[in-house]
Amino acid sequence: MSSERRTNDFLVGASVIIVTVVLIVTVLWVQQTDLGGKTRHVVVRTRDVGGVALGNPVVIRGVRAGQVEGIALGGRGWVVLKLAIDRGVSLPADPVVLLIAASLFGEWQVNVTDEKGLPPDRELRAALVEAHTTGDTLAGAVLPDIAQLTSVAGRIAGDVAKVSDRVQVAFDDKAAKELRESIRNFAQLSAELAKTVQAQSKNLDLISTDVRQGLQSVNAAADNLTRFSSRVDSSTSRGELQQIVSNSQSAARELMQATSALRKITDDVNGTQAKLSSAVSRADSVFTKMNSGQGTLGRMINDPRLYQNSDSLVSELRALVADVKKNPRRYINVRVF
Amino acid sequence: MALVGVSVSAARSAKPSRVVHAVTALGQGVRESISGVGQGARFVVDVIRATRDTSSWMPMFTLHARTLGVGSLPIGIFIAIFTGIVLALLASYSVGDIVPPYFVGTLVQKTVTLELAPVLTGLALAGRVGANIAAELGTMRVTEQIDALETLTFDPMSYLVVPRVLAATMMFPVVVGVAMLVGVTSGWLAAIGLLDVTTPQFLKGVRIFFVDFDVRYGLVKAASFGAAVALIGCRAGLTTSGGAQGVGRNATRAVVISAVMILVLDAFWAVVWLTGRTLR
Repeated sequence: MSSERRTNDFLVGASVIIVTVVLIVTVLWVQQTDLGGKTRHVVVRTRDVGGVALGNPVVIRGVRAGQVEGIALGGRGWVVLKLAIDRGVSLPADPVVLLIAASLFGEWQVNVTDEKGLPPDRELRAALVEAHTTGDTLAGAVLPDIAQLTSVAGRIAGDVAKVSDRVQVAFDDKAAKELRESIRNFAQLSAELAKTVQAQSKNLDLISTDVRQGLQSVNAAADNLTRFSSRVDSSTSRGELQQIVSNSQSAARELMQATSALRKITDDVNGTQAKLSSAVSRADSVFTKMNSGQGTLGRMINDPRLYQNSDSLVSELRALVADVKKNPRRYINVRVF
Repeated sequence: MALVGVSVSAARSAKPSRVVHAVTALGQGVRESISGVGQGARFVVDVIRATRDTSSWMPMFTLHARTLGVGSLPIGIFIAIFTGIVLALLASYSVGDIVPPYFVGTLVQKTVTLELAPVLTGLALAGRVGANIAAELGTMRVTEQIDALETLTFDPMSYLVVPRVLAATMMFPVVVGVAMLVGVTSGWLAAIGLLDVTTPQFLKGVRIFFVDFDVRYGLVKAASFGAAVALIGCRAGLTTSGGAQGVGRNATRAVVISAVMILVLDAFWAVVWLTGRTLR
């Protein structure tokens, strides 16, 4: 084998090998292929994947954390996505997966978030609940992409166009004439209003003067309030308020003592009241008996003869006293020896 | 009356001869127009048959691979450098205001990998390789070296054509692969240096829609371009006649046909592989 031929062989072989290796390495680098096992896999199930394709980024709180590594049809109408997530990345608590359009230009991404990060969309939440499993498989759902939103916007625009057509129909020549007349009337009205305003401008000046004075009064009151506040501040700073508080505390303490004494008196009064009640009931019994003529006192109260006898006794006693006064020797004999 | 009868019969006999002549002329034109296709197809079949004679073409393979492939790397790199730069600027100029800046990376990667690296490099190599082969073999033909080889029982197909065709088929993808790498790299550098695009943005654009199919598609196209250019050049060289003038004429013809064939094959592969296919 000649040296030239050997050189040819080497050059061609080296060129082919180097270019092939560089191309393969470049493709793997661009595709971010995991050669060193630096990723872990997460399985997601969803009803639809929207526009998500292999290699689309997986994003957690806006930061790229991996990529979509597999998409396959599952059983019972599910689609199963296999996400390759960097090993150093920890998923949120109770993670759910949203498949969303990343821009207007057909890029999609897989957003791993938690319950708080979900948009307030009832259908979306229902889809996530439906896709939820008890195992390690995450629940996923597709957010409406820009195309759907624009189609909705297109429908809204169509409705607006219909409304504007109806307005156009309603706004015919007659309506235009009436509108023109209304504008003319409004112009007259505004002119009269201007005249009135001009006439009332003096009143307005007076009112504004009063308002100014009122404002000055308010300012003075505000100044007084400020001074009062400063006094309160100064009294607070001199300790008067502290003294008032301490006096209040001692007064409250004495009030508590008085309250306890009053409570004791009240207890005594309660006992006295019980005794009084008993005495009253007994007296009531005595009076009842007296009224019924029982006993000596009852007879005395209820029998008129006692009164009559007593009265005659008093009369006789009075006559006796008079007789004694008149004839003392008749009754009194003083003898010595 | 007899004279009249003779003239009528002569007229009757003349009419079929004109029709036959016209039909014959039409057939001849059709045959001549498609005979090139038939001869080319027969040539390809002969080349395929000649590949069995490995002892004839194998020693010559690396020589031609070096000449046609390794020797073409500088021109491929040169073309790719400027293609990448121009593409980055074009992308920014065309859609820079309506798409995010990272789409410069997407456009450069997609365009270079799928289309420009294979086609521009193929066209450049059609001029260099096709003309080289056609002129070399044409000169051998007009100087009767090929006749001498046949006299010495060497099969010109296996000794001259097969190593060139195989070398071109194998080395065109190598040159195009290098052109892809250089084109994207030069676009990257142009985006960083001349546009307000950062490296992460450019790489995001490159990665966001990249699929390895892009590279495979470009390399397969390049291989088909290499085979076509080498076959056309070899056939043009082997059919050369008329001295130096004939060599020049056939070399030119080889370049023109190769360039056209590259575009035809480009459309063919696009129809075959890209119809109904999307990025998803």
